Amino acid sequence: MLRAGIWILALAAFLALPHGLSFSQQEILVFLVINILLVASYRLLTLTGEWSLGHVVIMGVGAYASALYTKELGIAVPLSMLLGGLTAALVAVVLSFPLFRMKGFYFLIGSFAAGEIIRLLWKRFREPFGGAKGIKGIDPMPDFSVGFYRFDFFEPVSYYYFAGIVVGVCLWVLWRIEKSPVGLTFHAVHWQDKLAEASGVNLRAYRTLAFAIASGFAGISGALLAHYVGTINPNSFDVEVMVFVLTWAIVGGTATFYGPILGCIALTVLNEIVLRELGFEQMRPLIYGAILIASILFLPDGLESLVQKLLRRKAAPAKERVAE
Amino acid sequence: MFSRFSRRTFLKSTAAATVAASLPRLAAAQDKVIRIGFLAPLTGAVAAWGKPGLDGCAIWAERINAAGGIKLADGDYQVEFVSYDNEYDPAKARTGATKLIREDGVSFIMMLGGDTWPGVQPVADKTGMLFSTLLPSDLSPETTTLIAPAEVHPIYNVTGVEWLAENKPDLKTAVMCAQDDALGLPSVATYLAAFEAAGIEMLDDPLLFDPATTDFAPVVTRLIANDPDIVCLDTCYSDYVHPICEQLFQQGYKGQIISCTADFYDQMIAKTSEEFMEGFVFQFPDFDDPALNADTINFADPNGFYAEYNKRHPGQWGAVSWEYASIMDLWKAAAEKAGSADPEAVMAAMKDGGKGDHAFGQADWWGSELFGIDNALVGDWPVVVIEGGKARVKAFKSIPDWYARHGDLLVKHMTAYDQMWNQRS
Repeated sequence: MLRAGIWILALAAFLALPHGLSFSQQEILVFLVINILLVASYRLLTLTGEWSLGHVVIMGVGAYASALYTKELGIAVPLSMLLGGLTAALVAVVLSFPLFRMKGFYFLIGSFAAGEIIRLLWKRFREPFGGAKGIKGIDPMPDFSVGFYRFDFFEPVSYYYFAGIVVGVCLWVLWRIEKSPVGLTFHAVHWQDKLAEASGVNLRAYRTLAFAIASGFAGISGALLAHYVGTINPNSFDVEVMVFVLTWAIVGGTATFYGPILGCIALTVLNEIVLRELGFEQMRPLIYGAILIASILFLPDGLESLVQKLLRRKAAPAKERVAE
Repeated sequence: MFSRFSRRTFLKSTAAATVAASLPRLAAAQDKVIRIGFLAPLTGAVAAWGKPGLDGCAIWAERINAAGGIKLADGDYQVEFVSYDNEYDPAKARTGATKLIREDGVSFIMMLGGDTWPGVQPVADKTGMLFSTLLPSDLSPETTTLIAPAEVHPIYNVTGVEWLAENKPDLKTAVMCAQDDALGLPSVATYLAAFEAAGIEMLDDPLLFDPATTDFAPVVTRLIANDPDIVCLDTCYSDYVHPICEQLFQQGYKGQIISCTADFYDQMIAKTSEEFMEGFVFQFPDFDDPALNADTINFADPNGFYAEYNKRHPGQWGAVSWEYASIMDLWKAAAEKAGSADPEAVMAAMKDGGKGDHAFGQADWWGSELFGIDNALVGDWPVVVIEGGKARVKAFKSIPDWYARHGDLLVKHMTAYDQMWNQRS
C-alpha cells in the first residue's frame, strides 16, 4: 500500500514538475533527463571497475546513427532511436576487442583514444557525417495526440514527458540488470576478479557485456538529444562533455544506483540555474571548479553518502523501538 | 548596542529601506525599455568572440541611452542588453534563445552563430524572432529571419590577399593552415580563391589541424618546409594564432604572414618581436585608427568608442569588440525607420531598397549565390597591417568588386570544400 502511494506520488511529481518551472528551466529539465540516462549508463560500466573516457563519444554514436537512419533511410524517429542505441552497443563490442586487452589506467587512456578516433572519423568524412559542422535539420519526434494531451515536441514539456518515459524504462532495465545475477557478476569482476575467474567467470566477456549494455543506453540518450536539438556535431561529444559526466559520477558517488543521478541533478541545477540566476554567468567555470574541489575534499564518498547517513539515522530509532 | 535596536526601530528602518530600494525601480519603470538578447559564448574556448562584443554593447547602450534612447512611433525607449552564455553549444543556445524570447521579451537577438545556430533555428522558425550572426555561412534560403549585417566572414579575407598582391608583387608562393572546423573550412576555400585570383601559387594543400591541437611546432615545421613567401593563418582562433606565430618566430621564418584576425596582437609582439610582426596583414582595425574618421564610415565616434573600451577593458580589444555594437547601429536605424521594434517591421525597414549603412560604408544586401538568400550586408572592408607595433588600416577594398571579377573561383573552391549553402547537410 505504502509502495503504491510512493509510486503515485512520484508519478504526480513527474507530471507536475515542468509546470512549476520557467520556459528555459523546462528546456534544462529535458537535457537533465537525457543526462540522467547517460550518467546512469556510465555507472553500469564502472561496476566492472573500468572507467572510460569514451562514453560521451559512444553517446554520439547513438546520436549520429539515429540521425542518419531518419535522414538517409527514412526510418521513423522512435525506431531510429532504438537502432541508434543498438548501433552504439555494436560499436562498443567492436571496440572491446582492443580495449579489453587493457585494464585500469590503460583502459582509461585507450578509451579516450578510441573516442577521439571516432570523433576524427566524423570530422574527416563529410559524407555522411557532415564533417566539422555535423548534421543539421535532424527530424524531430513527430507530434501526436492521445486525446486528452497533444504532444508538440517543439515544446520542452512534451519532450520532457516523452524522454522521461523512455529514460524511466531504461533506468528500470539498468536497475534490473544490476540486481540480476549478471549485475552481481559485474561486481565480482570488479572486486574479486581472481576469485570470479577461478569460479569460471569469463572476465573479458562480462566486461564486454557491461560495456555494450552501458553503450547501448548511452546511445539512446544521444538519440534523444539529437532529435530534440535537431543538430549534432563532433564538438557536442568532446572530452569536455566527458569531464562533466565524470564530475557528476564523482560528486554523486558511484556506490549506489542513485549516486551519479544525484550528482547530475545537483550540479546541473547549480551550473545551469542557480549560478546563472545569481548573475555569476561568466564565473560559472570558476565556481563550478571550486565546488568540485570542495566536494571531493569534504564529501569524498559523494552526495550519496549524505543520503545514506540520513537513511541510517531514520532507521536507527525504528530499530531501537523494535528492540524495546 | 543591540538593546537599543528595538522592534519599532527594526520596522522603521525596514520600511525606510524598502521605500529607498523601490525608488530607482519606480524611476526605471517610468522609462520604456527595449530589451536586446545577446546569445554568444561568454565562457570557454570561443569566448574571445563573444565576451568582448558584450562589453562593446554595454558602451553602445550607455551612449544611446544618454542621447535619449531609441525613438519609436510610441515614444523613446532605453536599451537594455540581456545576455545568455551559450558556451558555443547548440543545446544551450536553444535554451538561451527560449529564455530570451519567452521570458525576457527581447526584440532582437545577436549571436556569434556557427555551431550554435542550428540549435536555435527551430526556435527562430517558430517565433519569427529576428536574429543576427557574425558567420554568414549560417545563412540559407530557410533562414529568413537571420541576417549577417556586420561581417561577411570569410569573404572579406579576399581583400587582404588582393592588397598584398598589389603592394608586394614579389610574393609568389603561399602555404596555409587552419583548424578543421566550421570556421576554418569556408575560410580555407576563400583564401584559396583569393590566392588563385592574385596569381599566388599554393605550395601545398592547406594543412588542416584538429581543434584540440596544442603543440604547433610540428604544424609549423611542416608548413614552412618548402620555404613559402607567405604563411596564411586562415581564420584561426587567437588560441592558435598566438602559438603558431611564436613557432614561426622560433623556427626562423622571416616571410610574410597573413591572417583573418590578430586579436591581442600586442601580446604576440611581446612573445616574438616588433620586427617579426612588422607587415603582418589582417582584417580587423583598432578603432583609434585615423582612417575610421572618414565621412564614409558609419560607426559613430570610433576613436571615442575605442578609448572608452580600452579604459574599461585594457588589452582586451578584439575583432568582435565593435561588431555587435555596429549591428545595433543598423538595428536602431531600422527600428526608428519602422517606428517599431517588431522583428518583421525592423527586418523590412533594414532591407528596404537593398542597401544598408554598414560600419565601413554603404553596402548591399547580398548573398543569394553563395548563401541562397540576400541576408548578408556586403561592401568595403579594411585591410590592416601592423607597422611599428601598431595596427593601421592601409586600404578599404570592395568585396562586391572582387566578387564580380572572381566570383567563379570562390564558388569553385567553396564547392570543393562542401561549403555552398546547398551542400551543407
